[in-house]
Amino acid sequence: MMAANNYFGFTHGGTQYGAATASAAYGGQTGYAVAPAATAATYGTQRAAATGYDTAYQAAAATQGNLHAAHAHAHAAAAAASAYDASKSAYYQQAAAAYPTAAPPQPQPAYDTTAKPAYSTPATYAQGGARGSGGAKPAYGSVYTATTAAASYPSQPYTAPAAQPAKPLYNAASMYVAQQKTGGGGSGWKNYNKSGVGATPQRRPKPQPKAQQLHYCDVCRISCAGPQTYKEHLEGQKHKKKEAAVKVAAAGGAAGARACGASALRCELCDVTCTGADAYAAHVRGIKHQKVVKLHTMLGKPIPSTEPTKLTPAKKTVAGAPKVSFVASGGLSTVGASSSVPRPADKEDEKVEEEDEPEVQPVGQDYIEEIRGDDGKALSFNCKLCDCKFNDPNAKEMHMKGRRHRLQYKKKVQPDLEVKVKPSMHQRKLAEAKAQRMLVRDELWARRRMHEAGEDDERAYWEGADWWRGPHHHHHHQGMGMGYGPVGRRPETSDDRHVLAKHAEIYPPEQQLQEIQRAVSHTEKALKSLSDALADHARPKNQAGKAVIKTEDKKDDKPEGKEDGRDNQLFSFVGEGEAAPASGDGAGAGGAGGAPVGGPGVRALKGVMRVGLLAKGLLLRGDRDVRLVVLCHDRPTVTLLKRVANDLPHHLNKVKGPNEDAKYKVELQPAEGAVQVSDGTVNVVVSLTSAVMREPAEGGDIKRDDKDVLPRQKCLDALAALRHAKWFQARAASLQSCVIIIRIMRDLCRRIPNWTPLNPYAMELLVSGVMQSASGALSPGEALRRVMEALAGGLILEHGPGLRDPCEKELVDALGNMPAQKREDLTASAQQFLRQIAFRQINKVLDMEPLPKVKHASGGWKFPRKRRRSNTDADQDTHNGDGKVVKTEEKADVSEINSNAKK
Amino acid sequence: MVRGAGRGGRGIPGRGGMGRPPFSRPRVLMLRPPFDLILAEPAFPRCKPAPDDAALTQALLKRHAELCPTPTEQSAVLSIVTKLQTVLDNLVVAPGDFAACQLEEVRQVGSYKKGTMMAGKNVADIVVIMKTLPTKEAVEGLSNKVNEELNKLMRAEGLGNVSSTCHERGFTVTAATAAVRVLVTTLHQNLRKLEPEVHLDYKVISSHLAAIRHSRWFEENAHHSSIKVLIRLLRDMCARHSGLEPLTPWMIDLLAHHCIMNNPARQALPINVAFRRSLSLLAGGLFLPGCAGLPDPCEAAHSRAHTALDLAAQDHAAATAQTLLRVVARGGHRYVLGLQAFEGGKDISTEITVWDGVVVSPLAPAYHDSPEPMDTEDKDDDGIQDGVAA
Repeated sequence: MMAANNYFGFTHGGTQYGAATASAAYGGQTGYAVAPAATAATYGTQRAAATGYDTAYQAAAATQGNLHAAHAHAHAAAAAASAYDASKSAYYQQAAAAYPTAAPPQPQPAYDTTAKPAYSTPATYAQGGARGSGGAKPAYGSVYTATTAAASYPSQPYTAPAAQPAKPLYNAASMYVAQQKTGGGGSGWKNYNKSGVGATPQRRPKPQPKAQQLHYCDVCRISCAGPQTYKEHLEGQKHKKKEAAVKVAAAGGAAGARACGASALRCELCDVTCTGADAYAAHVRGIKHQKVVKLHTMLGKPIPSTEPTKLTPAKKTVAGAPKVSFVASGGLSTVGASSSVPRPADKEDEKVEEEDEPEVQPVGQDYIEEIRGDDGKALSFNCKLCDCKFNDPNAKEMHMKGRRHRLQYKKKVQPDLEVKVKPSMHQRKLAEAKAQRMLVRDELWARRRMHEAGEDDERAYWEGADWWRGPHHHHHHQGMGMGYGPVGRRPETSDDRHVLAKHAEIYPPEQQLQEIQRAVSHTEKALKSLSDALADHARPKNQAGKAVIKTEDKKDDKPEGKEDGRDNQLFSFVGEGEAAPASGDGAGAGGAGGAPVGGPGVRALKGVMRVGLLAKGLLLRGDRDVRLVVLCHDRPTVTLLKRVANDLPHHLNKVKGPNEDAKYKVELQPAEGAVQVSDGTVNVVVSLTSAVMREPAEGGDIKRDDKDVLPRQKCLDALAALRHAKWFQARAASLQSCVIIIRIMRDLCRRIPNWTPLNPYAMELLVSGVMQSASGALSPGEALRRVMEALAGGLILEHGPGLRDPCEKELVDALGNMPAQKREDLTASAQQFLRQIAFRQINKVLDMEPLPKVKHASGGWKFPRKRRRSNTDADQDTHNGDGKVVKTEEKADVSEINSNAKK
Repeated sequence: MVRGAGRGGRGIPGRGGMGRPPFSRPRVLMLRPPFDLILAEPAFPRCKPAPDDAALTQALLKRHAELCPTPTEQSAVLSIVTKLQTVLDNLVVAPGDFAACQLEEVRQVGSYKKGTMMAGKNVADIVVIMKTLPTKEAVEGLSNKVNEELNKLMRAEGLGNVSSTCHERGFTVTAATAAVRVLVTTLHQNLRKLEPEVHLDYKVISSHLAAIRHSRWFEENAHHSSIKVLIRLLRDMCARHSGLEPLTPWMIDLLAHHCIMNNPARQALPINVAFRRSLSLLAGGLFLPGCAGLPDPCEAAHSRAHTALDLAAQDHAAATAQTLLRVVARGGHRYVLGLQAFEGGKDISTEITVWDGVVVSPLAPAYHDSPEPMDTEDKDDDGIQDGVAA
């Protein structure tokens, strides 16, 4: 551990140190421990001569022999600056060369060669580092520069740390760390000691010689009775704390931290901060101070002036010229001029502040009640602000001038009242804690950000873009390009879940869909077959030649047009052969892909298309009725209808697979202009219509047998249904959530009488309009709510704009025929629903049981909080340590610090 | 320094967290604005002739004329406000021996300042910002001082005496025909020093500060007279229907501003359209939980104006507006506006009424104060948290 500490000391300064020279240098150290015997003797002499600080140097020197010691001292005493420059270069060249060569077995020679030139100040080391003359150099440079910077703090001047030559360089480095500490904060002290002890057991006596006289701890400025106590002290908590505090102070915080207490006085000798002149005087008189003075006298250490040091931020100016101060103090080994002499300005400040004191105006007279006795004489006074009583008017006066009262007054009445604030550690701590919290919070955000990125990825993975597709993944049956599109990553709300659950409930089961699919498919095939038959029947009369081509075409078409038309449910317009032209009318526009070949003798049945629920994909569970619309070339007549009804069963049986047992029953519904194909469970209503029907009925062809033509309105309805289906597929189906909500609304209209009058097409228009007007994609829950909002806001009431039917050329209100009372009831119902949705009763709207709440698995931020905390704790300690530099003499309130740290 | 090194080493800035703003919270529910027919115009083109709203417009204007304070009232208020302002300004500039409190600033706020005073309510509002903390004693001292000074002024002009009474918001100076509420508040930085037993209530104090912000916002944004007309009409309507009573003047201000100005053309809408729109928005859940509502321009981001209402009040207000909307749709605007009382003194917002054979029935409340609260909080909380987090 100690060796490790040693390493730490170096790597701290510059990590790249090790590789190049570690082995050699370390070897040097081991060799260095060979001559422990000499230590005791040399120590004595050195002690006597030197100021006693540079034990390590002496230890090092001792191992080298007296010669080196002499060198060192000569150097230290004379501060032979003249030699520096010359030696510098020499040293570095040599040192660079010597490092690798300074092999463990021959420490002495190697040392000797390097010894002399190496007697340069640490500053030269730093320069050497800058020069980078060897692999090891940069590392040294960093170490040394660090130390020089730190060394500018010393309150106790340091004798020139005559740098040891190549071999003990490590030692020197650790020494510098030690200096840091002695000089005003550094971590090296312990390291130094430990390295001394740990690296070579023989070196253990090293602190001992010092202890022969006094076991003096430089950090705590106390002496210990014996080596044992000294060691214990060094390992003790108090010492460590102080050490840490000093280290922090040295690291740069010192000036700032100390400067906090503006009016604090400081005893340099004891490193004690007093809050006032009185306290300082008391301290100086005190036994503790006296003890330290005595001790320092004994040690021959400089005793700073008894003038208190006024703590001001200006102190840190010293740091500006490390080299100078280092050399100077080293050379002179006198009092650090910069730190211990109080500044005149400080004194003035102090005076000004002291003068302030007596001019306190009593405040808050209004808040002191007089409690009068029966005779009207004031018996006692009650201060409402401070909640205290006095019997004496003088006490009252005093109270009104008192700090406590003024503080209360400031707090409760006049916040800008100036109250002399005691330089309180508490406040400082609060400020520190706050800063700390800010830091922690920043870091927290940083972590969150990081975490968030991870979480999002994860969520994207699990929820994906289609998190609500689950319930109706088999949707492709409807063949509607649902086009949900990319769904925003919004959390699924409870409303969404309810809507989706309801949707899953009302969605038709697979089997039902298949049945419908089959029946429709058969009917379509049969119709096509029928159409072919009709066409063939008609053709011989007209153009026999063309028939061949046409049939061929037909065959070509079959695989694509027919089969595709059936399976690809996008448009179930089954092109009836080659000539399935979209008639000129808007209804047929964009119909089958086949080019309109239509000649004079085109077939009577041009095509069939799925309309209504089937085409829109709005089938619900239990829906049995689907509609097909057959486009005829000419006005569909009853005769044609009858013929279709008669022939269809035959064709149905033809197209039906041999092993399919479906029994189709065809029923003629002349009033509806349709035939109904039923297989028992599914009813397919086939309406006949023609685009021609839209032309003015009273126009040209009126002469035609009107009686025979199917009811005009029914035909128009069928045409409208075609358009609606196309509109739906083009506009509504692509809107986010629209189809889901329309299904939900269909269910609502089926269930609730108030809603029944809302015709399906109007409802579709309404919902799609509401979705369309939303600024972005809506989740199902939001979509349903928005529909309710629209209705509740009176969209369909009389003064509303009406629902414009986009499938009509004229302005037609799709809801035009709704009676007022129905509108009223529907609106009222929607209003109630809206509020129920708002108050989390969407289940009532949907007529279902409330779903249990989801447990949000990812409730909080899941990161290793514990570890985080401990990290911040560590930081907190150092921060509070800052405060303790000032607070040295006070009993360290460990518990308080801890509690701060917890915050 | 140690931290910096340690942190840099871990490479936190990586991992793509940079793409988004640092404070985005992934789980924020984005609340949506309600359906608004005016804004949804393109999706619902009018396909039937616009209703003849002349009657409604006439009724609205007539009612507004009734609600406007008369010139005498206005001058009475003006007179006392001016004097009070003088007195308070003097106290700000030269407090002299007045030591009960120090005044920072005096500002007129509220309906008087906004120009939305209603007839018969000759109460102006003035906010006094104290530099000192507003203790009850300070308020009392100020009240006495103001009373004394104001009476001096009044006597000088040969006018009647004024009296001043303290209450929990400050004090009210009452003259013969008008009154001024002096609302006491303190500097913003003093807010957290307030103690409930010593000072005026924190909420009151901060609401007075908010009132200053509100009148400033109003001055800058809502000076259009259509807005003022609509505000008077809505305030009157809200005052007469119990469900809408909890709506604060500030909410009404925001609503009126929204209804008049927030449309694609950014031109003031006609008053009849705006009136219908306001009812329709309220009925459409503008002030219900889970709705974006109206953002409060005078508070921190994400705060919604209507969250000041409790849930039951939100429900009740929406239900009332919904009923009134249907009544207006049936041509009952005269009763809604208060131009005439309904036959038999019926409250149209709570009782079944019949209009030309169409039955309009009030709605049952949806909010139940159930022991296990209906999760509406988290919807609300999200809104509130947003405010806090931002």
